[in-house]
Amino acid sequence: MPTLSDAVLNELTDIVGPARLLREADDLATYGRDWTRFAEPRPSAIVLPGSIDEVQAIVRLAAREGVALVPSGGRTGLSGGALAAGGELVLALDRMNQIEDFNPVDRTVRCGPGVITEQLQTYAEEQGLFYPVDFASAGSSQIGGNIATNAGGIKVIRYGMTRDWVAGLKVVTGTGELLDLNRGLAKNNAGYDLRQLIIGAEGTLGIIVEATMQLARPPCDPAVMVLGVPDMPTVMSVLQTFQEKMDLTAFEFFSEAALSKVIEHQGLTRPFETATEYYALIEFEQRTPEDLEQAMALFEHCMEQGWVLDGCISQSLAQARDLWRLREDISETISRWTPYKNDISTVTSKVPAFLADVEAVVTEAYPDFEIIWFGHIGDGNVHLNVLKPDGLPMEEFQRRCGEVSQWVFEIVQRYEGSVSAEHGVGLLKKDYLHFSRSDAEVALMKQIKQLFDPAGIMNPGKIFDL
Amino acid sequence: MKVLVAVKRVVDYNVKVRAKADGSDVDLNNVKMAINPFCEIAVEEAVRLKEAGVATEVVAVSIGDKSCQEQIRTALALGADRGIQVETEGSVEPLVVAKLLKGVVEKEQPQLVILGKQSIDGDNNQTGQMLGALTGMAQGTFASEVAVDGDKVNVTREIDGGLQTVGLNLPAIVTTDLRLNEPRYASLPNIMKAKKKPLDVFTPADLGVEVTSHLTTLKVEPPAERQAGIKVESVADLVDKLKNEAKVI
Ligand SMILES: Cc1cc2nc3c(=O)[nH]c(=O)nc-3n(C[C@H](O)[C@H](O)[C@H](O)COP(=O)(O)OP(=O)(O)OC[C@H]3O[C@@H](n4cnc5c(N)ncnc54)[C@H](O)[C@@H]3O)c2cc1C
Ligand SMILES: Cc1cc2nc3c(=O)[nH]c(=O)nc-3n(C[C@H](O)[C@H](O)[C@H](O)COP(=O)(O)OP(=O)(O)OC[C@H]3O[C@@H](n4cnc5c(N)ncnc54)[C@H](O)[C@@H]3O)c2cc1C
Repeated sequence: MPTLSDAVLNELTDIVGPARLLREADDLATYGRDWTRFAEPRPSAIVLPGSIDEVQAIVRLAAREGVALVPSGGRTGLSGGALAAGGELVLALDRMNQIEDFNPVDRTVRCGPGVITEQLQTYAEEQGLFYPVDFASAGSSQIGGNIATNAGGIKVIRYGMTRDWVAGLKVVTGTGELLDLNRGLAKNNAGYDLRQLIIGAEGTLGIIVEATMQLARPPCDPAVMVLGVPDMPTVMSVLQTFQEKMDLTAFEFFSEAALSKVIEHQGLTRPFETATEYYALIEFEQRTPEDLEQAMALFEHCMEQGWVLDGCISQSLAQARDLWRLREDISETISRWTPYKNDISTVTSKVPAFLADVEAVVTEAYPDFEIIWFGHIGDGNVHLNVLKPDGLPMEEFQRRCGEVSQWVFEIVQRYEGSVSAEHGVGLLKKDYLHFSRSDAEVALMKQIKQLFDPAGIMNPGKIFDL
Repeated sequence: MKVLVAVKRVVDYNVKVRAKADGSDVDLNNVKMAINPFCEIAVEEAVRLKEAGVATEVVAVSIGDKSCQEQIRTALALGADRGIQVETEGSVEPLVVAKLLKGVVEKEQPQLVILGKQSIDGDNNQTGQMLGALTGMAQGTFASEVAVDGDKVNVTREIDGGLQTVGLNLPAIVTTDLRLNEPRYASLPNIMKAKKKPLDVFTPADLGVEVTSHLTTLKVEPPAERQAGIKVESVADLVDKLKNEAKVI
């Protein structure tokens, strides 16, 4: 396990000051990993820069001395991307959290990488605008981390991924050089758009030190419906029925097993008495009263077809928020069973057949495990969570999940889908990258990494090994 | 037993309200409206009484312009049997509302009237009590539990320092507090059915009430903005500021 020499530690202290270099066991454990719990964090130290200059100085030092860096954001990642398990120096961006230079004409704002996602959402709201990327961890995740993972979330069918809201990026590459990419331009066809390479690179190409984020107009009076659906293919029929006639802002689903756990552990109210195998959560804007009438008519149609057995609709913003919690609180609720998470996707049209195949394999392979299904099914993405039975040792559990993942990913490959729809590859999905990317693609990725990071210090060992 | 529930259309609890620029009122333009949370609790309680076989009919009444029919429909979707709208214009003060409700009580002869303890727009906390005075009916306000027992109703009230239970002879008036129950969601099949439930409209004149006003709003202004905090450099600095600027030590 590499450790840092006194000379390096002294130089780091000179850059950030003694209070910003942490080496206590508590700090190492906190900053050394993300939301995953499959490996123990073992960073050599934590450094908390407060400016772009300081980031550059740290990276230059690391490149010169061959010190591996792990960029760390809100540490809510689900793939071990921010896990420092091999003596790396963790570079945490928490302090660079300023929001500045709001531009009402361009509807953009400049954010430090450490701005919390929710902080940007609130800021946008105060300006009468809206930052549309949202998910359950928005209260902790950072804009830098969101960009590094190209986070998706619950509004993707309407607003796209984080990528669609990044108008400009400042990045410190593995040599310590500062790139100022795209500078907020809507149109910029002057050569390659390197900004897009950085987005989703999980910190393997450079450190995001500033982002110019695009803001949207706020949605108009969103209403939330929860519908009870008998089986998974029917969830897709309901989706199609609604999408043919309406522009939805969200279409999520979850299973009865997920719902009953959330209700039990979060003290929430059941949406309605009828228990069904699956539930769809639909959000739409009520621009005019006709929107609600349209949604009601579609609901009636689905009832007549037998696709929906019961349903409810929010009558106030508080109810809309409470209904969302039924879906948003799932991840946190099931975390006590240290779930093995699969985050898989295919194109929406193939989802019914894809899910039928996955469901068959999983039910057959895990007869004794509890499976929790939920996800952003409106964009073809489902989260398949296998709960660890209380008595089973972690290693045994991991091994068995790993075996079945292999089969699940073969199905993903057959359907030309993704082994990681929105959580990134990190360490957790590294062995499965080839199910979604060709050898030629991976070879090019490696060459690109070497161009940005010749010393191999930027989050080494994540996504792939060189 | 017939139960009458009053429901009011108010600005949604989660909306940040703004004062109009001229300070004449709260800006209601394009603002999300919803049923007053305490009224929602009143509807839930009435529906539960019906489900328990205690109440035979639940009538929801709202006073306001046509748009308040939306909140009556919500009450119908939650389980009320029929609706009554008393059509008024602009804002009506608690005494007028109480007089209009008295008119509806005389028409409907309910055994129990359930209202919210206050509505979150005016925060007056008067209507239920005034209705009690006007009708001479017994009143149990700030209810956290309601138990009908023959021709009596026991109402547990949240008071300073504890709970108090009062026994009222029916017919009676109950106003709801937050902890009385947890309202259900409006079920979609019930919303469809609610469209077919009857909703009668009356004017104040139909009820023999003249709408008058004893209150004038002088000014509506937002609360003073809180000043941003500052960071002090050192403990000595903090002590100095506490002593000399805040003058608290
Ligand atoms: C309850 C819960 C729900 C979630 N729901 C969703 C969801 O719906 N959709 C979704 O997409 N994700 C979801 N996630 C995953 C996670 O929140 C996102 O991936 C998020 O974008 C991670 O941001 P973070 O700041 O926490 O990043 P971290 O976990 O700190 O880091 C993530 C990766 O980005 C790198 N990184 C961080 N900051 C920088 C930087 N400034 N420069 C370069 N690299 C950097 C790290 O090295 C790491 O590889 C969820 C997580 C939880 C716990
Ligand atoms: C009157 C007029 C109006 C125009 N208005 C606009 C406008 O409003 N907006 C705008 O963006 N452009 C505009 N253009 C420019 C032009 O039409 C666009 O750039 C268009 O996309 C070029 O397409 P093309 O097939 O003609 O490409 P070409 O001119 O044939 O090629 C353009 C480039 O693409 C490369 N290329 C072509 N095909 C391929 C391929 N299959 N694979 C890889 N590389 C390829 C070529 O090598 C070349 O570098 C306008 C042009 C004219 C004449």
